[in-house]
Amino acid sequence: MKKEVPIMDGLFEWPSENPRLIGSKCPRCGSIQFPKSNVCNNPDCDHSVNVEECFLSTEGTLYTYTIHAYSLREPFQYHKAPYIIGAVELPEGLIVVGRLKVSDEKMLRIGMKMKLKIDKLYEDDENVYLTYFFEPVM
Amino acid sequence: MSESAIVSVAITEWVEAGHPTPLLIDRLTEVAVRALREAKMRPGELDAIITNTTSIPFDNPSYITTSAQHFAHRLAEKIGTHGVQCINVCAACASASISFAVADAMIKTGSLRKVLVAGVDNSPRGFYLPGQSVLDPDPAAAAIKVIGATNPAYWAMWARRRAYEMGKPVESIKELMALVKEIHSEYGARNPYARYKKVFSAKEVLNSPVVCDPLHLYMICATSSGGGAAVITDNETAKKITDKPVKIAASTVGSSVYGEPMPRLRVFSSLGGDKAKKPFTEWRKPIEEAYKLAGITAEDIDILECHDTSCFHTINWIDQVMGWEREETDKLIRERQIRHDGKLPVNLSGGTASFGEAVMSQAFMMIHELFRQLRGEAQERQVKKNLKIGACTAYGAYGAYGCIILEKGW
Repeated sequence: MKKEVPIMDGLFEWPSENPRLIGSKCPRCGSIQFPKSNVCNNPDCDHSVNVEECFLSTEGTLYTYTIHAYSLREPFQYHKAPYIIGAVELPEGLIVVGRLKVSDEKMLRIGMKMKLKIDKLYEDDENVYLTYFFEPVM
Repeated sequence: MSESAIVSVAITEWVEAGHPTPLLIDRLTEVAVRALREAKMRPGELDAIITNTTSIPFDNPSYITTSAQHFAHRLAEKIGTHGVQCINVCAACASASISFAVADAMIKTGSLRKVLVAGVDNSPRGFYLPGQSVLDPDPAAAAIKVIGATNPAYWAMWARRRAYEMGKPVESIKELMALVKEIHSEYGARNPYARYKKVFSAKEVLNSPVVCDPLHLYMICATSSGGGAAVITDNETAKKITDKPVKIAASTVGSSVYGEPMPRLRVFSSLGGDKAKKPFTEWRKPIEEAYKLAGITAEDIDILECHDTSCFHTINWIDQVMGWEREETDKLIRERQIRHDGKLPVNLSGGTASFGEAVMSQAFMMIHELFRQLRGEAQERQVKKNLKIGACTAYGAYGAYGCIILEKGW
């Protein structure tokens, strides 16, 4: 049995039954960031307190997208075309760029509801590498 | 405060990227000497040499490539100095534009009188794959690893969103981008420094393979190698050197803006909801600042050179430079009013569409075109109407932006 490994640490909860993206929130001004940061990014915040880790909503609306028709070369050859990249606007006021998972790209519409899904990006002899996707809410 | 002016500009031919020869330092010194000759200036007269750094890839993680980041110092050593201020500027694809801003500011404060701004770059080939240094594994810069988001993927997402916000099908912006390429290529064919001389029809562009829908291959610039040099002086000195000095009315620098909703290159997220500003606010901001410094409005711009790494960029730059309803931009392009005989000539150099991108030195081909156009020296590409003011806009990753307003100084 291969081990399931996030493609990068700290982006989403794993292992988890209902994984969420991990961000950071400034307790002072409320500014939210993804991925999480060690400082607030709001230029008008007094930066007087440290930011805290937070979890992002798992549903949002599609802001825009593209279908990537070319595969990438090494060391990113595991991004095999065609694949879909999109941006999803979450209710807390953050637009997150990520991979989209959809059975038929023609069903994609800007404004449609999308939800988070952690799934396989690729695998090698030892591990299955996971990343975050958004898929339509059925 | 002094005024500043460009007295000479030279550029190399833009060539295929990814080859170590001809040596970059040789190309840099040759183009610098050409600019100095046109200015009738000796290296010993210079107060400063400002170069852009480069995008040259690190070949081996065990070696530091300090040499490619120190072209100002190497150029000074090669052409000879009596001691000169050497500054290397790094701002992604907007680097050369920001070099101008540094030179302009130093001259306007009166601290310097004669500055050589120069740079060459040799791009990585194909999709730019930002390497993560073992010493700087920045998670915020890992979008390519985690989601495979190349630069064209972001441009394509911007283009689709623009069409959506205008209530149009995505095919409409596709057709517009194809027409932009057709028009730019017509002028690239007339520019001896451009790498690509082929004239494309919009139909050929639409028939080229899709890279990132709605962007087709011929809507995206190639990666190239090239660069240039310019001599900038205070206005009094400029008038002694040439009877056609081109004044730098403004040269501004932009950055990321908190609240920008459109995901900028390589980011994982941007601000949405109530806190989000108008899309492309951070593109527009340095332009607004430049207009203010120059004491002009968008209506005063006679000619535009904009950084068109894709044909969407040309469309968006016209939106931002003019600050009008987007429909006006579409109309301008559809009516081919961006040609040399049009209302707003855009990228008569042929644009990055015809040159390919020599990443951090790209602004030199735009500055060169404006300089020649304002002086009436653009030959087959020369604008029909009388020109007074030209604008150059540059952009790059990390939220790097620049805007330069040039004005006839005689």
